[in-house]
Amino acid sequence: MKRSRALLLAGVAASAVLLAGCSAPADSGSAGDGSGTVRFLGPEDPATFAPVIAAFEAEHPDITIDYTQVPFDQYSSTLQQRLGAKDDTIDVYAVDQPNLSQLAAQGFLEDLSDLSDEAKAATSSAQFEINQYDGKMWALSVWNSTQMLFFNRDALAAAGVEAPTADPAARWTWEQTADAGRAAQAAGTQYGLLLEQVEAYYQLQPLAESLGGGSGITGDDMLTVDVTNDGWQQAMAWYGDTFESGLSPRGVGGFQTAPVFIDGNVAFFVGGPWDVGRFASDATFDWGVAPMPYFEGGEVATPTGSWSWGVNTASKNKDAARAFIEFAALDPAGALATTEATTIIPSNTEAAAKYLPGLEELGGEHAAGVADLITYEIEETAVPRPVSVGYVQFESAMNTAFADIRNGSDPAARLEQATTQIQDAWKKLR
Amino acid sequence: MTTPTTRAGADSRARRAVRPAPPARPTRRGRRHPALIALAFLAPALIALLVLRLAPAAVALWDSLFRTSLLGGTQFVALGNYLELFGNPDFQNALLVTLVFTILINPLQVATAFLLAVLYTRKAAGSKIWRSLVILPIAVPPAVSAVIWSVIYRPDGLANAFLDLLGLPAQPFLTSPQQALASIMVLLSWIGVGYWMMFLIAGINDIPRSYYEAASLDGASAWRQLWTITFPLVRRPLAFVLVADTVSNLLVFAPVQILTKGGPEGSTNLLMYDIFTRAYTLGDLNTAQAEVVILVLITLVIVALQFRLLRSED
Repeated sequence: MKRSRALLLAGVAASAVLLAGCSAPADSGSAGDGSGTVRFLGPEDPATFAPVIAAFEAEHPDITIDYTQVPFDQYSSTLQQRLGAKDDTIDVYAVDQPNLSQLAAQGFLEDLSDLSDEAKAATSSAQFEINQYDGKMWALSVWNSTQMLFFNRDALAAAGVEAPTADPAARWTWEQTADAGRAAQAAGTQYGLLLEQVEAYYQLQPLAESLGGGSGITGDDMLTVDVTNDGWQQAMAWYGDTFESGLSPRGVGGFQTAPVFIDGNVAFFVGGPWDVGRFASDATFDWGVAPMPYFEGGEVATPTGSWSWGVNTASKNKDAARAFIEFAALDPAGALATTEATTIIPSNTEAAAKYLPGLEELGGEHAAGVADLITYEIEETAVPRPVSVGYVQFESAMNTAFADIRNGSDPAARLEQATTQIQDAWKKLR
Repeated sequence: MTTPTTRAGADSRARRAVRPAPPARPTRRGRRHPALIALAFLAPALIALLVLRLAPAAVALWDSLFRTSLLGGTQFVALGNYLELFGNPDFQNALLVTLVFTILINPLQVATAFLLAVLYTRKAAGSKIWRSLVILPIAVPPAVSAVIWSVIYRPDGLANAFLDLLGLPAQPFLTSPQQALASIMVLLSWIGVGYWMMFLIAGINDIPRSYYEAASLDGASAWRQLWTITFPLVRRPLAFVLVADTVSNLLVFAPVQILTKGGPEGSTNLLMYDIFTRAYTLGDLNTAQAEVVILVLITLVIVALQFRLLRSED
């Protein structure tokens, strides 16, 4: 009898521990007066945000930021789960910019329209627009990105090709780049051209935009697919041909592309600012940076966009949460602190102006002119991804289509198929 | 796995014959309600079964009858999700790919595992070392194996270098709709065959040597011995291997996600990956639940069929 009572007690104790683990700590700071604890959720390593959190807490001694990392692969589904359950233990969270309209439509983002004027002044127009949905502003842009054409100067010299420069006025066309790449291949380099995110909409949207094909999503409610127009077909035919002709390799996946350039096996590589530091430390040949190409006779268009931060509608500490995201996005010192421990461009224009020279320095003589180039692209040529509640489904279907076209599918038929797939997926949204 | 009969040492065999053995000093309560006591002992397992298996299955079944849309809310659609799935070309393709995959890979893997088991139970120099090498890939997590094979299958990768050495032309492997599924089968067999081989080796080692000696005296060839002694006597582990292998191959996910993402042209879009895309990329949880129910039904039908075929041979 004694024994069973002891067991019973042990059982009760164990359940109590489990239950205690389930219930969240009740202390979320004093509600609404801009103090207490702000819980912040994002996909980055905690070390990345340590500088901005330290800088913010130094300025606001009565607010503590409590950061939690959720790995990128699970980030979107975790957000859906927790925000869907009206979880008030998230105050601020990082928003992958193309997902903004879905989150806003679901009611998971606090309306920040009263900050519109300040936000507009603080960043580029593309980075301001990306946070708008349904006529309101739902988040503040913190990070930005762009794409550039990296080239292997040694490979081009071996082929007798004069290398491009970082000057946007002397921007190469895709046709010119492909020709030079083929010349380098003839002179012994394995491949002519490679895109870093070779099957990703982020990097391929500009091809269609350059030929007047648009983003692929149109309509008042941005739920009409338009990827079978001439611009898209032409762009995808060109894209498919770069692989068919052997200019670009098939079967080399996302994380294997940069090493191909670092190993000196490709003449041209389209990549992001994060590659500058990587190539500076790993590439042993002479390389350089030029503007991302466009199609002859077409528009210049470059990728853009990264992460915004927003406030959870279920948060019980919205004032402090807003203070924190305003600091990271609108205050140049705060914005600069978000990039202190990583290689990414701050969305804040003033912070970017201070940040970019350091990036250029990191790349040494190879990266000469990169700061001006990035500033120019962000201000003049950046085309954001479309703002639509159906973006997630659209991107997924398009990325599969890109992979198939890369492997030899007929572009026109495959784009037709993607259209049907996207329409089917969007039917479920309404 | 443990039985109450093992504690008594020498007389355990005798006790097994008179099972269930009465407890040494049964309490009055125990004698009156043995079922209750049994239930109490079974409770942890039953609760786990209920919470971890049956409840999620019931939830999946229930959810598959509803539709939740981003802008429209939740509504009851009865079998609407199922009907829609069967009309969807992507699902039809996934179903076809999964059936072709199942029909091809299971006999191949089981046959290879059986032949390897026969080979490595022969008394040959270093057969134990070879055996260990064949089993080794199980120690590598599936995701890591997939990454390794993604490099092997690259156009400039190891596989093509090997073909080149033999004077054969380079192959597209994962980038070709005709070869991608076969390439994934090779990778899965590299992981799986050694594992299934172990069960068959255990089965072969259980066959008394005297049968082979007798057969040799009667002049039976090695081939004849394989088919008339080894094969029939290893049938029980073979049945287990076939069923377990079939189930595990119906649930293949990681290599598809890492290597092909279901492509090229849907040629490797196995049901498990299609469910994942529907649930977590397209965000259509209800239809994904319906697809899970369909996959479970398919698995049950195939396994039932296998049991039936194996039983009728007895």
